[in-house]
Amino acid sequence: MDQKIVFIKDTGIENDRTKDYYALFLNLLRENSLEDQVQINRVADIGIYNQGLVVKIFEQDVIYANVKEEQIKEIVLKTIKEGKVIKELLFQSPPKQLRIVLRNCGEIDPENIDEYIAKDGYQALNKAVQENKPEKIIEELKKSGLRGRGGAGFPTWLKWKLTRETPEAQKYVICNADEGDPGAYMDRGVLEGDPHSVIEGLILAGFAIGANKGYFYVRAEYPLAVQRVELALAQAYDHGLLGKNILGSNFNFEIDIRLGAGAFVCGEETALIASIEGRRGTPRPRPPYPSVKGLWDKPTAINNVETLANIAPIILKGGDWYAAIGTEKSKGTKVFALTGKVKNSGLVEVPMGITLREIVYDIGGGMISSKGIKAVQTGGPSGGVIPQEYLDTPVDYENLQKLGSIMGSGGMIVMDEDDCMVDIAKFYLGFCVDESCGKCVPCRIGGYQMLALLDKITEGQGKLEDIEKLKRIALAMQKASLCALGQTAANPVVSTLKYFFAEYQDHIVDKKCRSHKCKHLLNYSIIQDKCKRCRVCLINCPVNAISGDKEQGFLVDPKICIRCGKCYEVCKFNAIAKE
Amino acid sequence: MIKLTKNDLDKIKAAHQDDGRDWIKVGMSTCGIAAGADKVYALFVEEIKKRKLDIQIKKCGCQGMCYSEPSVEVRVKGLPDVIYGKVDKEGVIKILDKHICGNTLVKDSIYELRTKR
Repeated sequence: MDQKIVFIKDTGIENDRTKDYYALFLNLLRENSLEDQVQINRVADIGIYNQGLVVKIFEQDVIYANVKEEQIKEIVLKTIKEGKVIKELLFQSPPKQLRIVLRNCGEIDPENIDEYIAKDGYQALNKAVQENKPEKIIEELKKSGLRGRGGAGFPTWLKWKLTRETPEAQKYVICNADEGDPGAYMDRGVLEGDPHSVIEGLILAGFAIGANKGYFYVRAEYPLAVQRVELALAQAYDHGLLGKNILGSNFNFEIDIRLGAGAFVCGEETALIASIEGRRGTPRPRPPYPSVKGLWDKPTAINNVETLANIAPIILKGGDWYAAIGTEKSKGTKVFALTGKVKNSGLVEVPMGITLREIVYDIGGGMISSKGIKAVQTGGPSGGVIPQEYLDTPVDYENLQKLGSIMGSGGMIVMDEDDCMVDIAKFYLGFCVDESCGKCVPCRIGGYQMLALLDKITEGQGKLEDIEKLKRIALAMQKASLCALGQTAANPVVSTLKYFFAEYQDHIVDKKCRSHKCKHLLNYSIIQDKCKRCRVCLINCPVNAISGDKEQGFLVDPKICIRCGKCYEVCKFNAIAKE
Repeated sequence: MIKLTKNDLDKIKAAHQDDGRDWIKVGMSTCGIAAGADKVYALFVEEIKKRKLDIQIKKCGCQGMCYSEPSVEVRVKGLPDVIYGKVDKEGVIKILDKHICGNTLVKDSIYELRTKR
């Protein structure tokens, strides 16, 4: 069947007119008796945003954007009928995403090793063991400029080199899959979608540093990921890709899984090692670093899931290929879990150096509501917020740090006018206070005290001097905490103070929360003009704070009201004011 | 245990290259399953068996489009590869009736176009 296929979608932000354009196209096709030769399709998403009517024509592979109603006829007559391209309408934009880590995710069956092998899987391992030059792998990684994707961005080659050079017969490699940032699930995506890419990376790590034993540390809250990794490991053993004499070489390597019991701090490398050893998961001071004294006091290289998924492509295609992607100091790509008030939430993989605006608007499709973007939170509880003025900053390790946030593992939460920055800071700090292991004082007590201050502020009891106290405790935590959890726990507070000081002032001085999030600062009242006296609010109020009758109207007693918002939800006439 | 060698890797690779058959691929990661992908998959299997269609049904991981889960990618010869999003039971039947049996793409439910044909 030789049909031309045309896809259309109105990508404007205002009301979607795709259906009108569809009718226009159909009429024109009929007038020109083309309806049998052309299949026209309305799509839900065409991958281009805010560019008016977008038309894609297969198989000419033509994309038109910002098409005006009157130009549809021209498209039908010229492009569809005669196959001529209308140059003025062409939309050309190179793809924003580049998939290295996610190369096979959504492509192959993660439960079938053969499909991974069919996509050049285990070829890098084969290349490495045949050449038998572990130093060359580290050399290649150095060229590639790959840095740890767990958050801190330590050069991977250096970590491997240090571990390799520590004189000790027994060494270990560990895959850190204890992903715990709220809103981040990149590692889960990779482990569930392409577990062999991580396993191959871990075997290569073992080969490069001279280890014969590796561990997967996966959090137990990811049952499907655990199941797929277990299956993948069993298949790799079955195929002789793990075990003795891998691919006919002298290299032996084994991998075991250890489950994390859900403690956030166990994502910290020394706590993770303690947890694998069967001890309580608490960090210890470094140095000595794990590359010198790690698991059971033996040299150990710990790498994040995403870092390991990058290894095989680098070995196959070369470090120079990888180094050509990204910015000067941050090479390659980064996977982000784009969530929050953005239209297309999901996993995106982009080259380093792309701007936040491109990620949110060109890939994420923009904001979900008409409310403006306020900030983007990156790096989870260790990161900070980046206000919308800085959306055009190219994303890399250094730039994010300069802005007071961090790359982190890759959570990216988009926030709009409805999100209160004090509340956000309180949420992340609360998370870290819950997850603090309690070993060191700055984190255990500092976090608790800061949270108490934030509680005070959001309840309308705050004083301006509390801000100074917050800053002082934050500094103490940053300087004196034992591990990264405590050192970075105050970051969300510090960065919101830096960019959204006015909101703190609102809470403290005016006792107002602009975003209507902090319920202690809210007041519900009934707009008498709109009220239809239906009594629904009165019936639904759980504390009987609403009184009155049909003749005189109803009132909310702020002294009894618990600010639950039930009346606001149930009122069908928008007669409840929230301010 | 089979000991693979370099040649075996190449053999497996060759054996698993695209054989030109049509296929349906359902995203079966946590995000997909949470949205009902397992039910969608089961219904596809059942219907394909019932209708005796010559089409492969496969599972895959997360395609990254978590907002449109469950997502289903379809390849039918002569049509471009497309990913349908937010597929429910009704959607499964539509995809089978129109796309697979009728060579017509389903309207208003395509979330991504793959350029290959």
